[in-house]
Amino acid sequence: MNNFFKKEGVKSVVSSILCILAGILLGFIIMVVLALVNDRTTIADAFKGLGILLAGPFSSGNAAYIVTNVGDMIFYAAPLIMTGLSVAIAYKTGLFNIGAAGQFYMGTLAALMVALNINTSGSPALGVLVWILALLAAMAAGMLWGAIPGFFKAVFNVNEVIVCIMTNWISANVVTWVFTNMPDLINRGAGKSGYLITTAMTGNGTPKLGLDQIFKGSYIDMGIIVVLILAVLIYVILNKTVFGYELRACGSNKYGARCAGMNEKRNIIMSMAIAGGLAAIGGALYYLNPGIELKFDTAYSQLPSYGFNGIPVALLGSNNPIAVIFVGIFIRFLSMGGDQLTSAGFNKYIADIIVALIIYFAGFSMFFKGFLSKLSKKKTVDSDLTKKADIQSAGDKTDAPAESEGKEA
Amino acid sequence: MSESPYIIEMRHITKIFGSNRANDDITLQLKKGEIHALLGENGAGKSTLMSVLFGLYDPDEGEIYKNGEKVTIKDPNDATALGIGMVHQHFKLVECFSVLDNIILGEEDTRMGFLQKKKAREKVKALSEKYGLFVDTDALIEDITVGMQQRAEILKMLYRDNEILIFDEPTAVLTPQEIEELMQIMRNLAAEGKSILFITHKLNEIMEVADRCSVLRKGKYIGTVNVADTTKEELSEMMVGHMVKFAVDKDEAKPGKPVLEIKNLCVKSKSSHKNAVNDVTLTVREGEIVCIAGIDGNGQTELGYAVTGLEKADSGSIILNGEDITKKNIRYRCEHGMSHIPEDRHKHGLILDFTLRENMVLRRYLEPDFQKNGFIKFKEVREYAQKLTEEFDVRSSDGVDSTARSMSGGNQQKAIVARELDHEHKLLVAIQPTRGLDVGAIEFIHSQIVKKRDEGAAVLLISLELDEIMSLSDRILVMYEGEIMGQLDPKTTNIKEMGLYMAGAKRDSVKEAQDE
Repeated sequence: MNNFFKKEGVKSVVSSILCILAGILLGFIIMVVLALVNDRTTIADAFKGLGILLAGPFSSGNAAYIVTNVGDMIFYAAPLIMTGLSVAIAYKTGLFNIGAAGQFYMGTLAALMVALNINTSGSPALGVLVWILALLAAMAAGMLWGAIPGFFKAVFNVNEVIVCIMTNWISANVVTWVFTNMPDLINRGAGKSGYLITTAMTGNGTPKLGLDQIFKGSYIDMGIIVVLILAVLIYVILNKTVFGYELRACGSNKYGARCAGMNEKRNIIMSMAIAGGLAAIGGALYYLNPGIELKFDTAYSQLPSYGFNGIPVALLGSNNPIAVIFVGIFIRFLSMGGDQLTSAGFNKYIADIIVALIIYFAGFSMFFKGFLSKLSKKKTVDSDLTKKADIQSAGDKTDAPAESEGKEA
Repeated sequence: MSESPYIIEMRHITKIFGSNRANDDITLQLKKGEIHALLGENGAGKSTLMSVLFGLYDPDEGEIYKNGEKVTIKDPNDATALGIGMVHQHFKLVECFSVLDNIILGEEDTRMGFLQKKKAREKVKALSEKYGLFVDTDALIEDITVGMQQRAEILKMLYRDNEILIFDEPTAVLTPQEIEELMQIMRNLAAEGKSILFITHKLNEIMEVADRCSVLRKGKYIGTVNVADTTKEELSEMMVGHMVKFAVDKDEAKPGKPVLEIKNLCVKSKSSHKNAVNDVTLTVREGEIVCIAGIDGNGQTELGYAVTGLEKADSGSIILNGEDITKKNIRYRCEHGMSHIPEDRHKHGLILDFTLRENMVLRRYLEPDFQKNGFIKFKEVREYAQKLTEEFDVRSSDGVDSTARSMSGGNQQKAIVARELDHEHKLLVAIQPTRGLDVGAIEFIHSQIVKKRDEGAAVLLISLELDEIMSLSDRILVMYEGEIMGQLDPKTTNIKEMGLYMAGAKRDSVKEAQDE
């Protein structure tokens, strides 16, 4: 049991869970305070709210809703996991990819340009082909977009955060600008303006693979399968390949990596390109769903929250691609509960506050880890100490050894 | 309570890391006004013991007394309050701060919240003049040499008027002259009533300056002796546990054809408009050890960087086995027979957060032995790392799975030496290969370098340690302000003569030095 807790991986997982519990506890305290301050709510509502949060998609109680909610949770988690992976792989190379939002948009742009401009209605096989093409286009666009901050970092040593923020806003404006000039793609028929038509119109939506039959009424599609495959792929690349070894070496000590003959500049660019590609696929998978519309006309004024939420997902998952999957789903789980919070008299953004608190506590994960090490160590030391004390009291040896005592040949 | 003869007493200190007893029931007594040396090999627990005294580690057992009264030192602030100051082996300096800012950090004079540096500057200036510790107070730490960083560290301690001064291997990076000066400073400080704990493994220095010496071995207390009553041999035996050879065992060099030829090499200096390496021409042939001697900061580091490819040469050419590699990258040089033991093992030598086995293949991970289709062969890497650690006696708590960061400095260096010497090479560039190591490890590394020489490798050694230069090299080239001042034969020259060249007071005609 002691050995079990000594493993780094176990420590990481346990400390992450501790972060989550601490965040939820503090969130609950906030709910209690809010409940007491507000006339319409009582402390019982706080408990009810906590129950709803912890139940996530199950909180509605109605079996049909639960199935739909679980499907939606998975669907909305997919892009979140992608941006989480994006941030994680960049972080492994010592870079902070705050540009996932922009890369997400570039992926959206490229994917929709392909998927909405080619009409394959009535020919599902062709539709799948175009869908794959759209994903690849998104990946290419995202890789290019991510490579820009990578390039500036590697060649001119410009902080990637600054370039990322700039490319974020550039991409937001590009999205609005490009689609504004393509009136064919605008969804006027449904009485809406400012929205693009969906992939349902052109038949290039993400295939459902029957998942919509399991989770009836939800948006779910096979995007999550793509995400799972990519997460495992990234894990393998980082931990099993020479390329991943180089990326990690550069991230950990770029001088040492350079001295070992690695091309750290190339690795920085590659890492950011991959990060960009991953975030872009996240954007593509989200908007390629036949049910999702892009409000392009105001895109320039707002960055997609998926891009930034990838940061806490990566952080809470200790930048481990596999852990990122679970964290992404977990955060959506909380948000699903949050959406139901109004029934207990709370604002749905309480869930966001709790997620934020968990992230703050994730900053303490090192502290929790240290705490765990101490805990497991203390047990062994304690038993050692009692033994020592016995020996000490038996032979009174408080005097320091004489100067010559320990001298030996 | 009667007056204790000891200003600091550490009684029965035990500190355990995991399964490793870094300090096992150690007692150390420091008299007021004495210079007390703490001697031991790497990993013997000297630094751990001092970290306990300085409040960086909490001892698992044992007590600390000051002037006979029990004290608890929980953190460095407690230590500072008790007048304990420490110059760490790995400097604790803020890289992007100036020397002055580093010295006053934590002890700043402020008026209404604004820094008042004038008085501090004067005090630092007075101290540095008094003790001959020259520093450029306005230079940033990241821009100055290791030697000057150390001087800043020492000034930091003096600035705080500490009465118990811990020097953790302070001479490792100083020049002979500077060491001489430091010894004088230490004597002066002791004469003024300050008590000094001097951690080292250099026996000469102990014999010269210390009053008493306590010896640790593998975490255990071996004994304390009066330096006046002991000999170098006795001390080294206490430290290592067996007799140590001081001279390097080597036969006459049998130089063959040239391996490394450097022609008119110039490298621009980063901190001034002068050339750090100015028109250097030299040749290293197979089967010989050529040593670049000189005071720290005279272009040796830059010369090493240029040869290994870490920095670009501005003009001139570097030829390896007849091929011009001046414009080639590090990997190309490495794959064409160059091994490199870098000066800074933390910055260049290792990826500290990687495990030992990952570090062991840092040069060779692309070879088919260790990867297939881009996938690392974990089993082979592990076996190889295990083989190397056994061969070179690299010790660590979790074997090849330990992170490099958790290992002691000596074992980190041994790991690098193992990796570089095992990598197929015709030229070994070794920059301060034994910096901060103990006699046992130095002896081992020296014998390995000589073995490689005898197998036909050319060795370019850049060192600041005069003993190492004299005992290991077959030819000595002395560098001063980026230029080669002359060539010396270690068999006929002496340290005094070399010192003249190193100080720039003597210079042979350049042609004479380079051609033979």
